[in-house]
Amino acid sequence: MDVPPLLIQTLGSLVAILVLAGLAALLKLGGAPRLAGEADVRRAAAEVSDGFEAVECAAARDGSAALACDAAGQNMLIKRHGNRFAGRILTAQASARLHGDALEVDCGERRFGTVLLELDDPAFWIAKIDAIGRT
Amino acid sequence: MPDFSPTQYAVPLFVVAVLAEMIWARLKRPEAYEPKDTLVSLAFGLGSTVAGALLGGFALYVFIEAHEYRVFDFGEQWWAVWWAWPLCFVLDDLKYYWVHRAGHRIRWMWASHVNHHSSQHYNLSTALRQSWTGAFTFGFLFALPLVLLGFHPAMIAICAGFNLVYQFWIHTEAIGRMPRWFEAVMNTPSHHRVHHATNPRYLDRNYAGVFIVWDRMFGTFEPERDDEPIRYGIVRQLGSFNLLWAVFHEWIGMIGDIWRAPWKHKLSYLLREPGWSHDGSRETSDMIRDRWLARTGRIGQGVTSGRPVANRNPIAERGEAA
Repeated sequence: MDVPPLLIQTLGSLVAILVLAGLAALLKLGGAPRLAGEADVRRAAAEVSDGFEAVECAAARDGSAALACDAAGQNMLIKRHGNRFAGRILTAQASARLHGDALEVDCGERRFGTVLLELDDPAFWIAKIDAIGRT
Repeated sequence: MPDFSPTQYAVPLFVVAVLAEMIWARLKRPEAYEPKDTLVSLAFGLGSTVAGALLGGFALYVFIEAHEYRVFDFGEQWWAVWWAWPLCFVLDDLKYYWVHRAGHRIRWMWASHVNHHSSQHYNLSTALRQSWTGAFTFGFLFALPLVLLGFHPAMIAICAGFNLVYQFWIHTEAIGRMPRWFEAVMNTPSHHRVHHATNPRYLDRNYAGVFIVWDRMFGTFEPERDDEPIRYGIVRQLGSFNLLWAVFHEWIGMIGDIWRAPWKHKLSYLLREPGWSHDGSRETSDMIRDRWLARTGRIGQGVTSGRPVANRNPIAERGEAA
């Protein structure tokens, strides 16, 4: 049976890819950075949107996510993505609700996913997110 | 006619180099890699190879037909004309500069090229993060002048292959700066880190493939600064490791925008710069840079901006997914 060269090459490459990605995990590359406090959140927020100056912010207790708002009333959701952070400025499509002890925030973008945050005053952020688009 | 693909021969080198960089990362910068990101980047590379094999035939057909109308004829044994090779390589690199620049300035082209930029990491696996959808753009047309000049399509393909192989090694943070003379002429890790940055200062700069002189010549060069840490990726980071979303997100966003736009603006969503919107509700890289300049008071302080820059990062927009 003649196997097409492209198929052999593809399968060989697939094996190499899996080995390399597995090796990255085996070598414990990556890590999980934390947003340890307000300074970290402010810095991350400014990186998500250049010039975003958080006037209020709250980091999840495990440091994996945060919420921030600026003087203009914009609200931002930040989450850990791999070993970096990604975020969204929340629009009227966003929603927030309590999920057990945690606050669940959905930015309205399915591929970004919902984010769970355990923080001190979830009601404050629920009110802020609910108010988006109403003011 | 020689049947030779530099990239195919370089694959073992790519694997060994990625391995070596991973060991460097383990010792010095564990955060330089992220296993899921690496997997996505390498899967991009594999898919790109398959897509090229399946979809590259059309461009080849166009080139072979166009070659019939060449201005200069290098003869039956065109591959034996030694001086044609370096000439073709340099002209192909010039072509690369412009096709790359178009890849950042025209949303249709960016829809494909964004794939290469969507990692928040900058390592050798990022180099292999190549688009699957290049065949659905018109990028190949940029090579037509070379074909019409008389360079055989196979010669151009081989030169383009070497160009791609060269660009592999510059996707790393493991190398700081090369010797000054080298930095002056060649594209280097330092120059290309700038290209992959989302910092407003660096947006849409350093399009070069092999020779950085094109950026210096056409006004798009920006040196890397030691006092400004680089953030990699795209302005609106994906926040997802879903491979198919990473491949097609910008096509989906662009088609959605065209669908929803008023008739007179539909074509603009295809051909204008990424981030452009008919109601001004989104940000182009010009706007991001101008806002940064205004905020930091850098206008007129030697920052190479103020002139229009390529508007990339359509997904930097707020509102609709782009």
